[in-house]
This record gives sequence, structure tokens and C-alpha cells, in this order.
Amino acid sequence: MVPPPNPRFKQVFVLSTAMLSFISFWKAASIVLCDFGSSAYYAGGIAMNAFGPAFPWFIMGVMLFSGLMLGIYTESCTMFTRGGVYVVVRAAMGKVMAKLSVSALLFDYTLTGPISSVTAGLYLGSLFENIFPLLNIHWQVPGRAFAVVFALLVTAYFWRANIRGIEESADNNSKIIGFVAVVAVALIIWAGVTLYVRGFTLPPFTPVFTPKALGWTSNFPWIKAIGAVGLLMAFGHSILALSGLETLAQVYREIEDPKVENLKKAVVVIFLFSVFFTGLLTFISALIIPPELIAGKYADNLLGGLAIELHGPYWARLFMQMAVVLSGTLMLVGAVNTSFVGSNGVLNRVADDGILHDWFRGIHKKYGTTYRMINIVAITQILIILISGGDIFLLGEAYSFGVLWSLTFDTLSMIILRFRKREEEREWMFPLNIKVNNIYVPIGMMAVLVVLLAATGMNMLTKKVATIGGVLFTLTFFTIFHISEKMNEKKAQLYARDEDPDEKLNLKQANDISAILPELSKPHRILVPVRNPNNLVHLKTVLETVEDEDTDIIVLSARIAKGLQSGEEVMSEEDKDLFSDVVLLAEKYGKTVKPLFLFSNDPFFSIAQVAQAAGCEEIVMGVSGATGAEVQMERLAMAWGMLKKPEVAGRSVLARVVWEGRQMTYQLS
Amino acid sequence: MIKQSDRVSLSTIISPENVLFLESGISTEEAVRRLAERILPQVGAIIPRKALFDRLAEVEKLNQVLESGFYIPHAKFKELDNFKAVLGLSGEGITDPATGIKVKSALLLLSPHKPAFFQRHLNMLSLLSQTFQPALIEKLSALKEPSAVVSAIIKKA
Repeated sequence: MVPPPNPRFKQVFVLSTAMLSFISFWKAASIVLCDFGSSAYYAGGIAMNAFGPAFPWFIMGVMLFSGLMLGIYTESCTMFTRGGVYVVVRAAMGKVMAKLSVSALLFDYTLTGPISSVTAGLYLGSLFENIFPLLNIHWQVPGRAFAVVFALLVTAYFWRANIRGIEESADNNSKIIGFVAVVAVALIIWAGVTLYVRGFTLPPFTPVFTPKALGWTSNFPWIKAIGAVGLLMAFGHSILALSGLETLAQVYREIEDPKVENLKKAVVVIFLFSVFFTGLLTFISALIIPPELIAGKYADNLLGGLAIELHGPYWARLFMQMAVVLSGTLMLVGAVNTSFVGSNGVLNRVADDGILHDWFRGIHKKYGTTYRMINIVAITQILIILISGGDIFLLGEAYSFGVLWSLTFDTLSMIILRFRKREEEREWMFPLNIKVNNIYVPIGMMAVLVVLLAATGMNMLTKKVATIGGVLFTLTFFTIFHISEKMNEKKAQLYARDEDPDEKLNLKQANDISAILPELSKPHRILVPVRNPNNLVHLKTVLETVEDEDTDIIVLSARIAKGLQSGEEVMSEEDKDLFSDVVLLAEKYGKTVKPLFLFSNDPFFSIAQVAQAAGCEEIVMGVSGATGAEVQMERLAMAWGMLKKPEVAGRSVLARVVWEGRQMTYQLS
Repeated sequence: MIKQSDRVSLSTIISPENVLFLESGISTEEAVRRLAERILPQVGAIIPRKALFDRLAEVEKLNQVLESGFYIPHAKFKELDNFKAVLGLSGEGITDPATGIKVKSALLLLSPHKPAFFQRHLNMLSLLSQTFQPALIEKLSALKEPSAVVSAIIKKA
């Protein structure tokens, strides 16, 4: 039964729980793959355009290399629940380098949208070219123009959707990846039959660079595009296939318990999918499609070309192409959304850290989203699409800059952290380490860094567009971050608090605690009152022991407010910090919590009231340094008795006060 | 579930001779002192006067007046084997300076300071706050006879 609103609760704030729902490893993997895997549709064609028929070897090599990068991301995720390049680099090298790395990352995220939407448009255009004659429509699809229009429409759609607050739906992502996997398996089997019937010749291993692909190196005759240098150049031209790994760091906080185990499973799924989907299909394409067609007709729609070049009747191949284009469009369009969500997420992360001016964090009045950040991302993407004119090679040229720099910064930071955070226990370590004193010297990671640095250096010389565009973009954002930081520092000195401190916290307000009851759906309920962000041992104990599937964990902060009828109670920065810590802890354990904040003139009364209203079976408190556990229990017992209705049969409720290594229990009667 | 041995009853701690009528205008500190004076003969043989008053002054800082207007100053002593209590009533009410709440009933509760007894101590606090709701407190404040007070409480409990 829902109790009537109590005058002691002047205001109840229930924090949005959207960010606290956790997902399976498969869904996490599918979110990453929608970004990471989508490069299969364009990476091969772009690489072919740069250094010829040797491209499948290098795309496969990059995919195998992705296993190493996934390993580095795994170690970083286990260290930082809310990680990503910015957080990792800041921890290792400080804010300046973090700002630089996140600027490069934004270049990657921002380009993800245009390259994906333009590619989807090119695939669709190519399909229409094959279908229209069969329908007696004699219209020559203007490939690039069509791709630009399609890309603009897709961008506009996700611009609007993100302004309205679309979540990156894990369910949709997993459905898309499931469909893509079915299409890929069909494609691989059919390609196997084709190769059996037609036979095949392995592509050459030696890259042959176009003058454009040599970039500035053509001005330095002593840099020969042969041998190890040639391999590095080709590797650099293929590295764009690695784009999307950062999404793993962004999605890690949403992975359910047991978090690290599920992360490892997600990483294995991502790696296998990438090797078989991007690596193998690109390789097969090179075996089946004649090189001149890859370089020409199918350069910007390689997998569509693979479908149409298979062995079999035309109608069946056309049907296969439709399936490939449909799956590709879904995946690529999903990547456009990822670019919006990712860019907005990264910008929000840096804004939280005070290096983006508050103006950027303006909240949409109706939808509560950070619309200015989304607008900037959308406008930048639209400009990029228009400037590219649908030229996928131009976009691909620029794309690898952000990918490589963010991976390099991340890897370098993880190596530094091995020394700087040597005491920190890691749940998983990238292999190949030598223990010297108490430091695990990361030989494996250092080897990866050498490869990344070499590829980054080579790319700076060979990719003019990437270097010029990337440096300009990175410096622009770095400058914005730097100026913002200075302005924020100045503002912090002038003002004690924001004009509207609640504006940026995703809160919904309710008049009484009954508002949260419909959201409690699990058979068991535990109430965890919190007060001090430095004393969350009890919450940690609950998160460690409670099963997420069958128990709702309500985390309550009751703030003492005198004169409750004023109606002017607002959450303080301390309250927000407390809940941020609660959310971080919940994310670390991958368990859902229901944060509840309320104003009351008696916190123990509030605890008893919420526990009775929500039907909690257990109340777990942290010990108060001011009064001690016994006094806490006494106050709870009095509040419990005062609220208890004599006519209602007493439920058995266990009250616990938990502190380091000890606990006191009391059965509330 | 609560063990049978941990169950508590108000009839075991409240009797007519332990009911005290307090005049209005005194402070809560003074009220506690008077309740302590009344309870002293029951515990004086095992708890020295100074120890009792010092302990009560100490815990009084932590004790809180309930919104219902009921006040339970309480302390634990290892010398005790069972509850000891005195009930004070004030028709006009004594204003608690910390909260501004009018205290019309105050029960001084002394409990054994033994781990095995802690559950019973908490149960007693819970039972007291459950029993002394505003309606009963109003009713008690109008009564003049200790026996009538005790019977009203037992009836309610």
C-alpha cells in the first residue's frame, strides 16, 4: 500500500536511472561492433586505392593487431570504470596531454559520422544502379551526389534524434549485429563455393603506392616505400579499420556484473567478429573480385561488389547484394549514431572536468540534452560531408589521424601508469611483462607502442589531408578546451556556485517517495542510506554480495533541511558529488541501484519511512563517525517504532551498520 | 523474526510509583535531572549518583526529541541486569531548545550494557516510540493519577 505524502518530505528527487541499467557482454560487444565493424564496408576499398592489390593482407594484419589494442583497452577499462582516452591520459600525463588526446579523438568521432553515412549512401546508390534497369527505370544514379544527400539526411535524422535524447539502444545494436552476422556467414559460405568452383590466386604481398598515397615522402627520396618502411606505410593506410575501439571504453561502465569477466567475453567476441567479418571478407573480396574492378567499380562498395561477383544466377547475387547493402546500411547508420553519442559523451566528460565552458553544456529546455554540443557535432559533420563531396577516399585519408593518435596516447599512458600506479592491483594485465622490484615492466605494451608510433609518424608524412585536417581540428579543439578551462577557473574564483545548480544533473522531481515504487520490480529490496562520499563501505559490501537479478538496491540520501515549507530546497554540489560516487561504484560492480535524494528534518525518520514504503527487507547503513553504530541503531529503532502502524503485521527487517571488517545487526520489529 | 527472549513489554518497566508529573517552565535538562532523581533509589545501590548523572549528561547531548513530542533520554549501564524507567508528564509541555518541539512526555530509560541485551534495548526504544503517539501523549497529559496513566499506556501498548 502506498503511504500518503508525508509533510516531513518537502521534496523528493529521484535521479534518472537510465545510466544505471547494465547490459550483457554480447550487447556491449554489439555496440562496439556497430562502430568498429562498420569499417569493413570501406577500409578495403580505401586501402586498395592507396597501395594496390596487397591491401587484404594489411587489413587482416590490422584486424589481428586490433587484438593487441583490445588487450590494452581491457587493462585500461579494469583500471577506470569511466575511462577512455581522456581519463587514462589525464591520469598518466596530466591535463594538457589529455586535452590534446581528446581533441584528436574528437576528430575520429566526428569523422565516423560522415565516412559511415557517405559509405552507406554509396552502397545504396550502387544497389539502385543494379535494380533500376530491372524495374525499367532508366536513371543513372549519381553515386557521390546521392551519397552526399543520403548522408545529409541520415545526419539530420540523428541530429534531431540526439537532441530529443535518443539512447544508443543496445537492443537495436545487437539485432543489427545479429543480422550482419547472418549475412556475413551466408557471404562467406557462398564465397567459399565460388572459390572452389573458380579457384583463386593469393593477392601479392608487396604494396604499390599511388603517388598520392606517398604524400610528402615523395619529397624525400631517401624514404623508400619498400621493405619495412613500405610495410609501415601500408599499415598506416589500413589503420582506419581500427576506428571504434574507444567505444569499448565508453561502454564498459554499462557492462553488467561480473564486469571484468563480461568485458573479456565482449573483447573476444569483438576480436573474432572483426577478424572474420572485416579481415576475412576483405580478403575474400580480393580473391574473387578482379583487381581492376576493386580499384574502379567497387572501390567504394567492396562488399556489395563481392556479393554481385559471386558464382551463381544474377537474381540470387542481386538478392545477396540487397542483403549486404541492407545490413551495411543498418550498421553504418548505427555508426553515425555512435559518432553523435560518442562525441557528445566525450564532450560531456571533459566538461565535467572543467575544460569546456559551461555555455557548451546548455541543456535543452524540453528534452534535457546538451543540445549545443550536439549542434556543433552535427554542423561539423554536415560541413565535412559537403566538403568531401561524397569522396570516400578523401574521408578515409583524414580518418586515420584521430584513430592513430588516440590509440598512441592511450597505449603510452597505460605504459606510464604501470610505473605511476604500480601499487594499484589490476584485475587483468596486458601480457609480456617482466617484474622488476614491484613493477611489471610492460614489454608487450612497449612493443605495441613502437608499432603505433612508427605508423603514426609514417601517416603524418604520407597522409597530407589527415595531417593538415587533423592538426587543425585538434588544435582548434585544444584551444577551445584551453580557453574554456581558463574561463572556468576565473568563474570559479568569482562565483561560489552556479545560477542553476540542478540544471546539469539529470534529475526528475517527485512530491513523495511513492513515485519510485512502480520502478521497484524485483522480489527483494535493500535500502542503503548514504551520507559521506568517503564512507561507502556499506554500499560496496551490498554491491559485492547482492544478486542484481532479484534485488532492488535503493540508495537514499536524506539531507537535513530546516524550515521545510520554504520550497527552496535544492541539491548542493556535495549531494551531487555523493551521488556521482554512488553511480561510479554501481557502475564498477555493474549492478543497478535506485538513487533517491530527499530533504527531511530527520534522516532516520526518512530511512524508516522509505524502508517501510518500499517494503525493504534490509537496511544497510555505514557507521557514523559522530555518533557510532549503537546510537545509529537506537535512532533507527525509535523512528521505526514511531512510524509503525500497530494494525499492520510486522515484517522482518534486518538493520545493519557496516564498517571496515565489522558489522552490527538488529532485527527491526 | 524476533526471538521470544528479545520481546519486551511496557508493563515490566512502567508502574504508578515511576510516574512523575513535571511542572511547565523547566528545561529538558532539568526534566532529565528530576527523572534521574526519581530513578536513583532503584539503582543507587549499584550505580553511584555521580556516575548516573554524569552519564545522563553525556548521553543527553545525543538523545533526540521525537516529533510526536515524546522524549526518551536513555543510557546503558553494565551494572544493570534489567530495564529501569521513570515516566515524566507535563500538561503544558517543556520546550526543547534544539527543535522547538513541546515535550509532554519523557521517559528516562536505563538499560543493561550487555551485547546480549542490545536487541531488547532497541526493541524497547521501538516499542516506546510506537506506543507514545500524539493521541496518547495528549491523553496522558490530561491525567492526574499515576495509576490512570499506567493503565492508559498498558491499554495502548
